Amino acid sequence: MKHPLFLRLRKRLSVQPDSVITLGDICQVYWDGEREEMVRRIPIHRVDPKDGNLLILDIMQVIAKVRTALPETELEITGAPQIIVEVRRPRREPNRLLVGIVWLILFIGSGLAIMNFHTDVSMPEVHQRIYFLLTGAHEKHPLWLQIPYSIGIGLGMLLFFNHLFKKKLNEEPSPLDVELFLYQQNLDEYYIQHENKENQRIKS
Amino acid sequence: MNWANMLLALIGFSGGVAVGSGFVAFITVLDIIPRLVQLTRSHRHLRKMEWALVGGVVFFTLLDFYGWQIFLPRWCASLYGLLAGVFVGMLAAGLTEALNVFPILAKRLQMDEKLLYLLMAMVLGKIAGSLLQWMLPL
Repeated sequence: MKHPLFLRLRKRLSVQPDSVITLGDICQVYWDGEREEMVRRIPIHRVDPKDGNLLILDIMQVIAKVRTALPETELEITGAPQIIVEVRRPRREPNRLLVGIVWLILFIGSGLAIMNFHTDVSMPEVHQRIYFLLTGAHEKHPLWLQIPYSIGIGLGMLLFFNHLFKKKLNEEPSPLDVELFLYQQNLDEYYIQHENKENQRIKS
Repeated sequence: MNWANMLLALIGFSGGVAVGSGFVAFITVLDIIPRLVQLTRSHRHLRKMEWALVGGVVFFTLLDFYGWQIFLPRWCASLYGLLAGVFVGMLAAGLTEALNVFPILAKRLQMDEKLLYLLMAMVLGKIAGSLLQWMLPL
């Protein structure tokens, strides 16, 4: 009976600069239960400074390397056709000053935006009208309505992003988590399209 | 038969359909109802939530157009304000999210861990801006 070598490429790998990526790093490997250790150590790629901080390894490169090492083996390949390798640069702490500036921009900007919105939709007039309809009293500045309203805006935003309760209300991720995930996924797809040299050819 | 009135009714009806569907489309894009249902784990009551939205739109339209007054005590206006504010806050948050502001900020400025602070900046900014607007003209 034949024993094909099963390979399943992972999605992402994060490595140190100047390390050697082996087959075991990028693939799940199954053979016949004994010889995997040897196969896992097959070197696939040495990270080079000129690779930048992202490189794509295509399954065809992997097959070529495995074939050179084990010419006789039948390969059975599942999973994604490429893997994204992220070269970890020593990560800088985000600059406190920068965070502060961004914080201020967001604070001032969102405050301005809500005021613009209120003016745009004639919120003061609407508040006066609602106050009149609810209580029967004319009030130029219905603060009894407007102050709770203002607090409510903050509450609503927190509620939407589920940060009101530090402990999660349920297991589901918040929209922000999903959004970050989708953004990362889009970036990954872009890299795969544009960084993988095997995906683009110009025939002259 | 008064043709002018018929025409007016048709125009009014058409305008209502356009505005109503636009309203629903806008709320849908911002995913506010799914979010609330998810938070309260009330998937079974999704239909009721939709009816609440439709009912609210129709009720307050009538209240406004016919000038119905209900003479409630002042704290009812406060309660109304709080709930209206929560809704507007969710609109704002939903819009921020639809525009991908946070993922891009986090990625570009490498501030993934500080995301909560940035979110708080927006929340506090909204509250401050709103309060200032109402209280300064006094």
